Amino acid sequence: MRNIYLIARREFLSYVATWGFWLSLASVPLFMAVGFGFLAFLENSQPTRHYVLVDESGGDLERAILNGISAQPAALREEVLEQASELITLPPQAQQMLESSLGSMFADDGYERVNPGSTDLESLRPYLTGEANIETPAGPQPLFAAIYLRGSVDDGIEIEYWSANVTDDGLKGLIERALAAHMRSTRLLEEGVSSEVLAAADALRPVVRELNPEREGGSAEITLADRLPVIVGLAVGFVLWIIIFSVVNMLLTAMIEEKGNKVLEMMLASTRHHEILVGKLLGVAAVSATLLLFWTFLGSSGPLLISQFIPSADVPVNDITSAVLDPALLLPALGYFIIGYLMYGAIFLAIGSLCETLQDAQTLMSPLMLVMMAPMLIMMVAADAPDSAVVSIASWVPVWTPFIMLARLPHDPPMIELIGTTAVMLVTAVVVIWGSGVLFRMGSLNQANQETIKGWFSFGKKS
Amino acid sequence: MPETILELANVTKTFKGKTAVNDVSFSVKRGQITGFLGPNGAGKTTSLRMSLGILTPDRGKVTLFGSKPGAKALDRVGFLPEERGIYRRMKVIDVIVFFARLKGVEAGEAKKRGLKMLDEFELLHAAEQPVKTLSKGMAQKVQIISTLVHQPEFIILDEPFSGLDPVNQKSLERIVRAQADAGRTILFSTHVMEHAERLCDKILLIANGTKIFDGSVKQALGEVPRRIFLETVSEHDLVALLDAYGDVRRDEGGEAGVRCWSLDLAPEADAQDVLKACVDAGVKLTRFEPVRAHLHDAFVHLVENAGQTIEETADA
Repeated sequence: MRNIYLIARREFLSYVATWGFWLSLASVPLFMAVGFGFLAFLENSQPTRHYVLVDESGGDLERAILNGISAQPAALREEVLEQASELITLPPQAQQMLESSLGSMFADDGYERVNPGSTDLESLRPYLTGEANIETPAGPQPLFAAIYLRGSVDDGIEIEYWSANVTDDGLKGLIERALAAHMRSTRLLEEGVSSEVLAAADALRPVVRELNPEREGGSAEITLADRLPVIVGLAVGFVLWIIIFSVVNMLLTAMIEEKGNKVLEMMLASTRHHEILVGKLLGVAAVSATLLLFWTFLGSSGPLLISQFIPSADVPVNDITSAVLDPALLLPALGYFIIGYLMYGAIFLAIGSLCETLQDAQTLMSPLMLVMMAPMLIMMVAADAPDSAVVSIASWVPVWTPFIMLARLPHDPPMIELIGTTAVMLVTAVVVIWGSGVLFRMGSLNQANQETIKGWFSFGKKS
Repeated sequence: MPETILELANVTKTFKGKTAVNDVSFSVKRGQITGFLGPNGAGKTTSLRMSLGILTPDRGKVTLFGSKPGAKALDRVGFLPEERGIYRRMKVIDVIVFFARLKGVEAGEAKKRGLKMLDEFELLHAAEQPVKTLSKGMAQKVQIISTLVHQPEFIILDEPFSGLDPVNQKSLERIVRAQADAGRTILFSTHVMEHAERLCDKILLIANGTKIFDGSVKQALGEVPRRIFLETVSEHDLVALLDAYGDVRRDEGGEAGVRCWSLDLAPEADAQDVLKACVDAGVKLTRFEPVRAHLHDAFVHLVENAGQTIEETADA
């Protein structure tokens, strides 16, 4: 035990002393803080797209489009605000700030109509292909698109949309939606519907009440408190994946370095293989636990801090805190973390003990990386369809169980799956740790290397 | 009778069908310096690893301090492996304290001893430096300090002189001698005979995984025929004249009119009798040079003989 403690302590201190650890610690809150600003920055940094609109039908369509284009961003803005208000009730000042920033994001969607003088396609072609620039108040700019509107034979509308950019179809969509609304209104007006009725019909919105059939009466209504466990479960699954993925890589690189520096030989003179293996796993587990505790602390105290600094914000502190600290999620998360970490950690340590350099390790790492990436994708599916067959089957793959089951836990998966997947995972963990211990022993004494592993998978092949 | 520190009894170890150590038995007594000699790949490192319980023998028994090698026994041993390294980013003193603590020394005491030993090894100035800033020779000294800092009763050094320059080799010899003078038992493997000849009370010779000699340096030298080089300017046939004293050969070379001979003395023969026989027969000698055998000769002789024996056994 003494040696395990000393090795674990040395490992922990050696990682904590690195820049990588502090970057990892700061990464999640940093990415969260920077993320929103970065998205807004990306949105605002889009160049203004200049387009020419030629209405060959007499001008009605042009007006409809211009009205529609200016109305649609407002509708989008309303939609985003509505979704935000479902999650959090902001004080008036914060609400204004959000509206203002959303207003600038959706102002005109970055499209500006220009009038270059000539409207026939042949004279516009050089501008569309980038051979020439049009004059704008901001100086010479490329022409993004030329749109020709004309009536078709069957009383419909035909749009000719000319653009060298085949991927950005935002403007085309705006025009399509604006004209569809215009055609609908025109037809209804022609059929005798008054403009007042039409406006009133457009303003109609259903009142949606989401209810949980497992509850009755007033308590059946689904609130944020009901959604939070699902969000938190998914978030914890992702965080777990990120932590395990980061720290097992730390284990691997440190192990390879020790093997290359021949430190392992010196260690073997003082202690036993299993003590080195367990000590290293525990040391790095302490690093992961530090990260996990810090992020959990942030996750649970963040809403509290917001409510302290912005008292008028109606942040559901209790709901968020109880969702994060819910023992029904926290305890399984802890268990899944320990088992998942031990499985992957032992495998990576064994790989490290077989390799002298990172290049050696890459051959063995590639298939393992694919295995590790899969649960990330499956968790995304589990977010929307936790009962899908793919998610259900993937839960039984023991190296994926910790992540996928965490995402599924708030959806109350069948008890048989819960117990069964956990049992399979535990048995696999024991086998994997034992096998990794054997490999680690062989690798550290140079009795096996990456070629040995390759040899196992090349049976039947003759050299 | 001195206490037996380490005993290997009929130990065999095989890797992937290849026998690395074959039915080897030997013991190391308290207070002795034992040299474990053998060519590269002879099975020395495997034997040492089995001695410490790092490897388990397929057959036979290993006893360290009277019992199976375990954690407690390991605390009383200082082992410097052949392939050795230390944490490059750690400070020198921290490395020494870490290895001392693995051997059960308290942190404060470990630091005190570490600093004292660094001073003795003229490395005190580097105590707070990261290991990666040290030269190779300095780093090897830190490895040796890490091996000795817990004041082990039994020191095992696997090829300790490899990679050291002559000055540091001399320095390491002094350290080994000082540890022996302090009452420590030492077992070291090497294939450089000069060190073994100067340091060892006893040598073990192993080749192809089989023990071929176990005894004192004097006994090992006794295994090599003593040789006399002679040069004559007379017409005498020394093969016939000196046949009773051993195996005489006519050698190539020599100046014009000078004939060169060599005589491997028979075990009971004496060089003085050979000289007398030459003088009595009127041989005109221009050179009569009895050569003192070295451990290197004994090593080569014993390994070659063992090779023949192994081949004969295989043929049979």
